[in-house]
Amino acid sequence: MMDFKLVIPLASSLLATGAFGSTEIIGSVDSKCIIVSETPGVYGNPNPYQLTTAPSSGGVKPIIRYDVLVADYYKAVIDHPEEFTSSPTLDDVVTWTGDVTVSEVSDTNMSDYDTNKVEYNNSHEYELTVSGSTWFTVSSTADYGSTKSFPAGQYTAVVEAECIPL
Amino acid sequence: MWQASYSYSEEVYGSTNNAAQLGLNWVMSNILPDQAGLEINGLVYQYTAVKDPETDMIVYVQNEYADGNGYIFRNADDWSGLPGNTINKAFVLPNLSADLWGPGSIEVNGEGSVVDPSVIYTYKYDTCFDPQSDPSCPGYEEPIVVPEIPIYDPLQDELVLEQLEEKARLDEQEEEEDRKRRQRENAVQNALETLLGDGSNPGLIDPVAEALALALTARILPTSYYSDIEGGEYLEKIVLNGGVVQDNRKARRSSLAQQFLHQQMVDSQYEKSQQETK
Repeated sequence: MMDFKLVIPLASSLLATGAFGSTEIIGSVDSKCIIVSETPGVYGNPNPYQLTTAPSSGGVKPIIRYDVLVADYYKAVIDHPEEFTSSPTLDDVVTWTGDVTVSEVSDTNMSDYDTNKVEYNNSHEYELTVSGSTWFTVSSTADYGSTKSFPAGQYTAVVEAECIPL
Repeated sequence: MWQASYSYSEEVYGSTNNAAQLGLNWVMSNILPDQAGLEINGLVYQYTAVKDPETDMIVYVQNEYADGNGYIFRNADDWSGLPGNTINKAFVLPNLSADLWGPGSIEVNGEGSVVDPSVIYTYKYDTCFDPQSDPSCPGYEEPIVVPEIPIYDPLQDELVLEQLEEKARLDEQEEEEDRKRRQRENAVQNALETLLGDGSNPGLIDPVAEALALALTARILPTSYYSDIEGGEYLEKIVLNGGVVQDNRKARRSSLAQQFLHQQMVDSQYEKSQQETK
């Protein structure tokens, strides 16, 4: 007598084999706030003890442009300089003054940014409540000693501009 | 023989000078280059609004349609309740034909003013918008040269002039001959009349011929021709009974038929003349 066996592959045997899978989800975020240095600043030297960006004193005020693609998600923080990043050796105190103003707008509603800005130390903080481009002009003046002459040489200072997500 | 040739067209991009440099109103034809097929694809403007933050002011930067029917471009900046500032705006436009653009202006409504305005248009055009403008343009077709055909004036041809003169001379000669012939005929006729008008001319009286004529007359004419007719008056002898003359119906039908035929004939002539006129 012959025996017939039906061989049926069991699905459980397949399922019984251990399996593991994973897949990636990749995303990138482009900033919706872009900072562009439109005009580099230049210090004029109207007096031996003074460096200033005032155009009337031979200086050039730096201009920074903020392009905001989405309103109400960012704030701009701009610091006018408080020190030289490079300069001859200075053995006396430098007194720094400066300011930041909105000099140009792409929307009339940006024109009250200056009214609503918050100032602390050398920082100027603006809430970017309107999408579009805003131009900020920075002024900076450095007085050396009381009326002491700056040593000859190259002087460099930096304006820091940040776009901080709210 | 194969001859190498090439053609190309070029798109030129450019920007205008400040349209508002001379004032707050400008004419586009004074701003844009005179190029066929020129299209405006962008506009950048900037100005500084000078105003009290408490006041209301709206500034329109605009261009009318060339046909004066509305604005092809108009942008409003509402400075109401805001401090003045310098505004800078840029627009991308969908290649609008320069022909559509009418006069431009910056219009201020409210309290305040606009200083240092700048309006700049960007444009493009195809150097071969009109293919015939340059032989190197694609689609350029050589202009057809019309050959100069000399105009023949027969009145300037010597042979024709000779023939005309000859014909004129012959016509004049023939006319002269006709005139002389008529003159001769008139002279003969006058002479005959003079001769025949003289009844006493014995040469003209032939007794035999006269007798023959009398005889012939006697034979042809009836005797009553020679009889005397007694004078008097022939009175009307017809008397109408009843005093009413009845219409002759046959005659009337005949008359009407003739009139009808006459009318048909006149009508047919009229229609014929009308057709010939058309």
